[in-house]
Amino acid sequence: MFRSTALLRSQTRQQLQDLCPRTAPKPTNNSIQDRNILQPKDIDGWEIRQGVTDLIGHDLVPEPKIIIVILNACRRVNDFALAVRILETMKDKCGSKENEIYPYIIQEIRPTLTQLGINTPEELGFDKPPTGFTICI
Amino acid sequence: MGFISNRSKYWLERVGNREMVGYGLNGLPMYVDKPEFPFPALRYKEPTAEIHSLYEKQKGNWKLLTREEKKALYRSNYCQTFAEFTAPTGEWMKVVGIGLIMCCFGVWLFILQKLFVYKQELPISFKPSRVRAQMRRIIDLQVDPIMGLCSNWDYEKNDWKVKRWNTPPNPFIRCPDDDE
Repeated sequence: MFRSTALLRSQTRQQLQDLCPRTAPKPTNNSIQDRNILQPKDIDGWEIRQGVTDLIGHDLVPEPKIIIVILNACRRVNDFALAVRILETMKDKCGSKENEIYPYIIQEIRPTLTQLGINTPEELGFDKPPTGFTICI
Repeated sequence: MGFISNRSKYWLERVGNREMVGYGLNGLPMYVDKPEFPFPALRYKEPTAEIHSLYEKQKGNWKLLTREEKKALYRSNYCQTFAEFTAPTGEWMKVVGIGLIMCCFGVWLFILQKLFVYKQELPISFKPSRVRAQMRRIIDLQVDPIMGLCSNWDYEKNDWKVKRWNTPPNPFIRCPDDDE
């Protein structure tokens, strides 16, 4: 009896450590890929939005493979605006290194973009700040 | 709002015809543009007949949508693009301006005090000879001998231990205007 309670306590401690943000295991790209690519085929818009929001909560820019999976999911739920918004989100996640990372991502997912007919936000003219008086800082 | 359901009258009045499409910022059916939560819980615009037809067309091949239709789809789903809502607003100028105006009030108080509170002739104890006399008294009384003023006075040398930019001159040196 005492051995089983010790085992239970160590399991609970492991679960608590996984939940606490300071000691939780940091997601590697592999773990995220596995989670994303194993998505069910009938995922719906709600789950896509939730999944991408969680994905961008981590301190990383998702790999093009993951973005391709997400864009295909958008196609399945017939939501074009969601796909464009996701591309804008990826660009925003690049942070200060936008000039290095974002062109690489677009180059890697270009085949998917042409296949599904998704335009990047730049092609639609959505990357410019609002018209009129623009403030620099 | 935690006790009111998302489909209560309060929310339905505000949501209108719009479809609730996601969890959004905090689970409530609100539309907010935020870079940390890029997908709001609602579509932005209420569906009209044209938007409905666009949604129908969206179910087909996306390459058949024209550029204007794609932009209209985006704008019907979202109020502002990322570039628009993350653009600098210049609000810092307002904040700095108001802060400096507050500083001006303080400066005005100082000016009015100098004009109306303090008399033109100061009392006799402001004269330099009197100030030096007060300083001699303070040093003789050994005020603050541990960490304060007289801890910096050397009683053997009769002078300050360390002379910095803010130490007064030695008050024990006789000056011409003493004995006033």
